[in-house]
Amino acid sequence: MQGSTESNSTGFWVYDGLCGIALRQSECPALPLNDSRQQMKNIGKERDTQGERSELDVRKGLFRAKPFVSDSDTGFSNSLALSSSLPNAFCNLIQDQCQAQMTSGSLWPDRPTSSQPLFLTFEPGTPHDLKCVTNNLQVWDCSWRAPSGAGRGASYEVCIENRSRSCYQLEKNSKIPPLLPGDYEITVNPLYEFGSSKSKFILNEKNVSLIPETPEILNLSADFSTSTLHLKWDDKGSVFPHYSNVIWEIKVLRKKNMEIVKLVTYSTTLNGKDTVHHWNWTSDMPLECAIHYVGIRCYIDDPQFSGHKEWSDWSLLKNISLPPDSQTMVFPQDKVILAGSDLTVCCVTQEKVLSAQIGSTHCPLIHLDGENVAIKIRNISASASSGTNVVFSVEDNIFGTVVFAGYPPDIPQKLNCETYDLKEIICTWNPGRPTSLAGPRSTSYTLFESFSGKYVRFNRDEVSANENYQLFFQILSNQEVYNFTLNAQNLLGQTESTLLVNITEKVHPRIPTSLKVKDINSTAVTLSWHLPGNFTKIKLLCQIEINKTNSEHELRNVTMRGVESSNYLTTVDKLNPYTIYTFRIRCSTDPFWKWSKWSNEKQCLTTEAIPSKGPDIWREWSSDGKNLIIYWKPLPINEANGKILSYNVSYSSDEETKSLSEIPDTQHKAELQLDKNDYIISVVAKNSAGSSPPSKIASMEIPNDQFRPGVRYNFSVYGCRNQGYQLLHSIIGYVEELAPAIAPNFTVEDTSADSILVKWEEIPVEELRGFLRGYLFYFEKGERDTSKIMGLESGRFDTKVKNITDISQKTLRIADLQGKTSYHLVLRAYTGGGMGPERSMFVVTKENSEGLIIAILIPVAVAVIIGVVTSILCYRKREWIKETFYPDIPNPENCKALQFQKSVCEGNSALKTLEMNPCTPNNVEVLETRSVAPKIEDTEIISPVAERPEDRSDAEPENHVVVSYCPPVIEEELANPGAECGGGSQVIYIDIQSMYQPQAKPEGELDSDPVGGAGYKPQMHLPITSTVDDLDADDDLDKTAGYRPQANVNTWNLVSPDSPRSTDSNSEIVSFGSPCSINSRQFLIPPKDEDSPKSSGGGWSFTNFFQSKPND
Amino acid sequence: MSRREGSLEDPQADSSASPLPHLEAKIQQTHSLARLLTKYAEQLLQEYVQHQGDPFGLPGFSPPRLPVADLSDPAPGHAGLPVPERLRLDAAALAALPPLLDVVRRLQGELNPLALRLLGRLEDAARQVRALGAAVEAVLAALGAESRGPRPEPAAAAVAAATASAGVFPAKVLGFRVCGLYLEWVSRTEADLGQLAPGGPA
Repeated sequence: MQGSTESNSTGFWVYDGLCGIALRQSECPALPLNDSRQQMKNIGKERDTQGERSELDVRKGLFRAKPFVSDSDTGFSNSLALSSSLPNAFCNLIQDQCQAQMTSGSLWPDRPTSSQPLFLTFEPGTPHDLKCVTNNLQVWDCSWRAPSGAGRGASYEVCIENRSRSCYQLEKNSKIPPLLPGDYEITVNPLYEFGSSKSKFILNEKNVSLIPETPEILNLSADFSTSTLHLKWDDKGSVFPHYSNVIWEIKVLRKKNMEIVKLVTYSTTLNGKDTVHHWNWTSDMPLECAIHYVGIRCYIDDPQFSGHKEWSDWSLLKNISLPPDSQTMVFPQDKVILAGSDLTVCCVTQEKVLSAQIGSTHCPLIHLDGENVAIKIRNISASASSGTNVVFSVEDNIFGTVVFAGYPPDIPQKLNCETYDLKEIICTWNPGRPTSLAGPRSTSYTLFESFSGKYVRFNRDEVSANENYQLFFQILSNQEVYNFTLNAQNLLGQTESTLLVNITEKVHPRIPTSLKVKDINSTAVTLSWHLPGNFTKIKLLCQIEINKTNSEHELRNVTMRGVESSNYLTTVDKLNPYTIYTFRIRCSTDPFWKWSKWSNEKQCLTTEAIPSKGPDIWREWSSDGKNLIIYWKPLPINEANGKILSYNVSYSSDEETKSLSEIPDTQHKAELQLDKNDYIISVVAKNSAGSSPPSKIASMEIPNDQFRPGVRYNFSVYGCRNQGYQLLHSIIGYVEELAPAIAPNFTVEDTSADSILVKWEEIPVEELRGFLRGYLFYFEKGERDTSKIMGLESGRFDTKVKNITDISQKTLRIADLQGKTSYHLVLRAYTGGGMGPERSMFVVTKENSEGLIIAILIPVAVAVIIGVVTSILCYRKREWIKETFYPDIPNPENCKALQFQKSVCEGNSALKTLEMNPCTPNNVEVLETRSVAPKIEDTEIISPVAERPEDRSDAEPENHVVVSYCPPVIEEELANPGAECGGGSQVIYIDIQSMYQPQAKPEGELDSDPVGGAGYKPQMHLPITSTVDDLDADDDLDKTAGYRPQANVNTWNLVSPDSPRSTDSNSEIVSFGSPCSINSRQFLIPPKDEDSPKSSGGGWSFTNFFQSKPND
Repeated sequence: MSRREGSLEDPQADSSASPLPHLEAKIQQTHSLARLLTKYAEQLLQEYVQHQGDPFGLPGFSPPRLPVADLSDPAPGHAGLPVPERLRLDAAALAALPPLLDVVRRLQGELNPLALRLLGRLEDAARQVRALGAAVEAVLAALGAESRGPRPEPAAAAVAAATASAGVFPAKVLGFRVCGLYLEWVSRTEADLGQLAPGGPA
């Protein structure tokens, strides 16, 4: 708001922490305006000599006062200085301060003393600082600072100029109607005030603040059982001209120190009418534990208003507290909560709580107001049936509560409704997951049927763990379809399961009772039973199980309509006479749902019937040939149809008929005296129901001399009837079977490299001479003209036999044969009379061309590969091959002979001699490196020691043969280079020492190694038994790891001939090297030493072949 | 006092009328019953705390011995009283116990409906303690020391209503207290009858 500075004034004072303000009643209605005016007036009269200006910094909520000099005794207004910023906030601050002081009773001292500073703002000039606010958009409340000379009751003319001019005569502040968007010129002209001049302001809606009225809480209530606060307030929407969105901010404070525990916004809409709103809040702490305060403020978001929108002031706080009670209590009491959730439990007490525990676990205490404490339980586990105990201990007592942590009911599973009798429906279900809640907290179930509106409840006052969950619902007449809803509910929630069922299709009959059996005749009985239920409108399907002794049970289904009496009857026929049956029955309904359980069994013996046939009979003549003995077999029970009491035997010829009656059942033969006539004999069995059909046998004989063995006969028996003859039976047979007379003809149908297909013909019946049993097929390798043709039998190892018992088979394929091979095949037939003659054939299989090709290709391929590999290797090793086998110029440095000569001749006297003892050398081989190929010169030396090898251990020092030489001195080829030392007289001496010493061991080590530097050491790298040698051997092993021709090296004596040991010891044989080393050339070649530039031409070994070229 | 003691000795004085063997047998029988019930009471208390959850049954858990309607702990000087007087106090306590055990049985039926053994023991205990009380009364009658006439009906219903409204925890504590009192009084009765039983210290 822009304003020109004309005379205006405003008043405000602060007095030693007390405050006073002259306010309009509408701005701070709670302030005792009259009192403040009076007090301010009183104070103002005395204060004005202080001479300091007071400033108010409302934004910071501070009062800062400076001395100022007033130019008027009564020049303060009771109008609030309408700062452009926060008049309401200022008002609230003043109000709060003043109220607090008023409550304490120290407000408004009678008069301030001179020591109590008093400050008064006073600004001289014209009305200025015009400021407009609105709380309902219907009236703008404008005020300005009065000119300094304005007194109480001053009037102003306020004119608003835009298209037209409207003027109002107002007092200190003005309520003007809202202006449309745009700038308006406002003129404030003080009336009746001398020295004041009018002010002009430019007013726009954008400069107006929308500050809603402070909301008022209509009601605050609490539900302590659920720890819920219910807040109710009026939005006073009737004062707003149009729809607006409102944001409410609600704060919940706890304890006496008013800790904010909840600050939440809540949006509604103003609809032009006063509307009461509700807001609920559930506390995490029982409301009984501490006092709770609630305050509310609002913010109106009117989209059509372009000015500042500000929050209203907070409403007066309302609180909820437990009525004072001296008794100690623990809250919540017996709370049921969801397992896994958090819970706060508190103890309201006047005594000091020492500890708190849940179950056996102690918890830290949270101190509330006074001695009240609380504990926080997080993620509580599901409780046992009796709940979880929470106990607070004071000095001489305990207080507790029980928490029941559980789960809401699971959806009822496997809900099934059926009926046993169409009178009552039984619904069963599985409750699912246990809720961990029992007794009055357990789940209650209600079964509701929607069509009829009826329901039944499930009460579990005292249940056992095994009790089924089931409810019974009475079937309603004329209702077949039921729509069931099973509702499960406990204190933590509810679920439901539904089922639509046509009850006539869900009949599960009870067990049939009173099963009875009654005879009708020998093959039929009547079954009757009782099946409780109202089945008159449906069909029953019953199943009868018929068990007969030693027989599989039989099931028969019968369908019948339900009867009101529930007694049912059916006939079971097709039974056997005189048989024990066991019956039982079960029933279902049509359509099928479930079978009932089987009824009890009922046993029954059917009555007798006449035997179904006569006994089997045969006859024979007695040994004297005078009597004919008739035998018969007792009838089996299924043919006797009862107990056989007796038999009747009768015989008749053309002339007479006689009979033997009442032969008891225990007798099964009868002897008849007959002549040579033909008779027909008949036997009849009798039981209590009657006689069986007669069994008849005729007597007729054919002489035996009419038949020959090996001939097939066809016997046909004809019965004589009135109309003629009738064939009764026909059989084929031999009096005696013989072996086949001929062999079957067979041919080779097909031949391949590994198989033969053979086909043969049938043997004619007359040549067969018996019933054909099969064929024997032999085959083996064989030529036509070999002796193996004859006597082909299965016992031979190379003969294979196939026994063909399927006489319809006429072909045979022989597989797995060799190609281009002659086979001998034999076939013969056999009958019950023996083996028939054989027929043979020779067949040559075809050649196997694939094998031949493979046999040629493989060797060729191998040869080519070897050639290629050899060529590659030769190419890669061409340098080495060249140097090894045909160098251009031999390297003289590689000459071992020269090295030997040099070392010996240049003064190393210790290496001049080689001593051999006791192994007698007979060959000396000198290997030189002057030529590419090692030159071997074996020299045969006849040693005197060698002639007496058994005396080696006794050899005297003077008997040692000492050979000193500088090669080349001996160039004689050994006659037997491979002979062993003990068995022959040859030894090969090689200048090992001279070529080894400079290469294998550094010179610096020679002084410390008396053995190593003394003479010939062919096995330098082998283990040596002496202590000194052990030390050297380790060094040598590191440097000369290579060839080791002798395994048992411990038996060797490696002492040099001129070593101290060799000379001083009389008992030890003085020798050098291995006794077998004489024939080894390879190890005498100096080891390849990287330090030696001379090793390249030192000899040849096979391993060199795989090494890289020397130059590489 | 002398009147009571005299009544105790009267049966001995009239032994020629031979009520003595009968009295001894009665005392012996009642003593055996009390001993049996002491054992049962120990089992009941153990079973009870098992079903209440921690800290019931934990070592050191001892809720205050608050007075229970119609029943209190045996007085400290109980042992110093004459035997008939002790038996009268025993009989009075035993008579007060059954309704309290019934209340506990009812509360536990809601709290532990599946604890069938506990419920059975509570039910048995009420019946058995009633029988023991009757037996003690009979012994008193045989001794010539009649009990103090008809007692007012125990305020078991009031106890049940009070505990139910106070919450589950007080109900558990009440049950704990009643089971403990049951054990104490049958044990005390056993000891008091032991004073009279043949071979006893009496």
